[in-house]
Amino acid sequence: MSSLDWLVLGGTLTGLILYGLIRSRRSKTMDEYLLAGQSLPWYHVCLSVMATQASAITFLSAPGQGFSDGMRFVQFYFGLPLAMVVLSVTFVPMFRKLNVFTAYEFLETRFDARIRTFTAGLFLLQRGLSTGLSIYAPSIILSTILGWNIYWTNALMGGIVLVYTVTGGTKAISYTHIQQMIIVTLAMGLAGYMTVHLLPEAVGFTDALHVAGKAGRLNLIDLKFDPNSRYNLWSGLIGGFFLQLSYFGTDQSQVGRYLTGESVGQSRLGLLMNGLLKVPMQFLILLIGVLTFVFYQYNDAPLFFNKQETERLKTSQYASEYQLIEIKHGLLNSQRQQAVAELQTALDTDNQTVVEQARTTLKTADAGLATLKTSVTDLIKKNNPAADTNDVNYVFLRFVLDFLPHGLIGLLIAVIFSASMGSIASAYNSLASTTVIDIYKRRVNATASDAHYLKASQWATIGWGVFCIVVAQFANRLGSMIEAVNILGSLFYGVILGIFLVAFYLPRIGGRATFFAAIVAEALVVVSYWLNLTAFLWLNVIGCGLVIGFALLLERLMPKPARA
Amino acid sequence: MNKADPDLPPFARSWPRLYAIVVGALVVEIILFYWLMTAFS
Repeated sequence: MSSLDWLVLGGTLTGLILYGLIRSRRSKTMDEYLLAGQSLPWYHVCLSVMATQASAITFLSAPGQGFSDGMRFVQFYFGLPLAMVVLSVTFVPMFRKLNVFTAYEFLETRFDARIRTFTAGLFLLQRGLSTGLSIYAPSIILSTILGWNIYWTNALMGGIVLVYTVTGGTKAISYTHIQQMIIVTLAMGLAGYMTVHLLPEAVGFTDALHVAGKAGRLNLIDLKFDPNSRYNLWSGLIGGFFLQLSYFGTDQSQVGRYLTGESVGQSRLGLLMNGLLKVPMQFLILLIGVLTFVFYQYNDAPLFFNKQETERLKTSQYASEYQLIEIKHGLLNSQRQQAVAELQTALDTDNQTVVEQARTTLKTADAGLATLKTSVTDLIKKNNPAADTNDVNYVFLRFVLDFLPHGLIGLLIAVIFSASMGSIASAYNSLASTTVIDIYKRRVNATASDAHYLKASQWATIGWGVFCIVVAQFANRLGSMIEAVNILGSLFYGVILGIFLVAFYLPRIGGRATFFAAIVAEALVVVSYWLNLTAFLWLNVIGCGLVIGFALLLERLMPKPARA
Repeated sequence: MNKADPDLPPFARSWPRLYAIVVGALVVEIILFYWLMTAFS
């Protein structure tokens, strides 16, 4: 990075944090600290829920997924608009009517304190762990660029967020979210433009789409119903719907965002606008990854995108083996570039026979590259058993650093940082509010003053910050982070959603039946994942269905408690 | 005649209509994506 990049990065991040702190003076009550006094308009709600969901993971992993796996990941978000409608009809009016701080307070009104604590506990476990991953995501960037120690980088990233989250509360978080989304949109738009601009002069945007399509990267829709396929239309619509409904309806990091709306209508509108914007946004991020793939069809692509690991190989006992693989890689790269050039000419002259030949050559080269990549990861693993052999998260970063102009590099690194800080801040805030409202105030100390609970919320924020930083230290063995976060969510979200759906729609079922049904369902979901019985998105449907089914059964079988 | 909810945006005269717009936009996106996939592969 040049000094211009450092200036842009430092200036953007400092500006963001200062703006958030200045716009929101120190909160004096719990309501102000946790819900911004329920005073924010719909666009605050919309941008805040988007910024909370779109962490650094979104901007690191998604282009990498587009590069290596094509655009099929977009189907994962198809359930989101449907979930926004259901939330607007059911969850939002109910939470607002009961005037709750957290989603779990509602469960005590409907069932009992035990199920409230159980669900809050599941949330704390899941959110605490996944926030650790959100801290790790930008930290790998710093460690790759600057050669910093990953453990100290994690501590620094988690610590900076703590400073303004503890002092500014929800209002600071919401104001910084707006600025973050503006910067993210601007910078990603510029990155997309530059990727097309860097293609050879004769290759336009449409040509790039043709090359991507022929190489199988425009795999946007898979109509085949296959429970073991990770992303298809049905898993996206059904599994994705349950996951998003659970995430937005029962995860306090999101519930806490839309409860800040100044009315039911403003909260609803914020969520529905999110439903309109999310799929196109994700499409465009994946498209940048696909365009990066096309760029590397005309230029020499690294075989493995994590430079640190390949540099280590070069000085290890496996250096000669690695060199041999690199020679083969160079030959395959040339073959592929020749095939792409032939494809380009054939497309221009509409020669379908040559198009098909070039497509076959491209696919053969792709398969060859995959084999070589396996050989490299095997060597990396042999050289350093603790090494990260998944380079999906490094693809976009490596492209940015190697090919984009100075200034834009700093801005894109700022995007990754600020997006990450936005989602981490929401997570800290929600972990603190759940800990204080659902555990501390409900179970430990119910009669203290508002000022006492405000102080407790600030200390809880610090405590969770430390916990999440510790989790981040162990996050480097989980492969693609965006998938790791979603898998972790799927283990818990289905069961939590099942509890809420029983609460909303099955008024005859009581707390006891729901509580035991939730415990059994959670155990079965974990076993299903452990035994690899189905793709992870379906765990949301399974968990939710099991809670509802068992609750209905247990309500019939369990003896009714004797009335006094 | 019922007064429109002041929270509604100008392009939707009722909440059910806004819900239909959100779901309709998703359907249009899926069709467009399918077209994009088939047209360029």
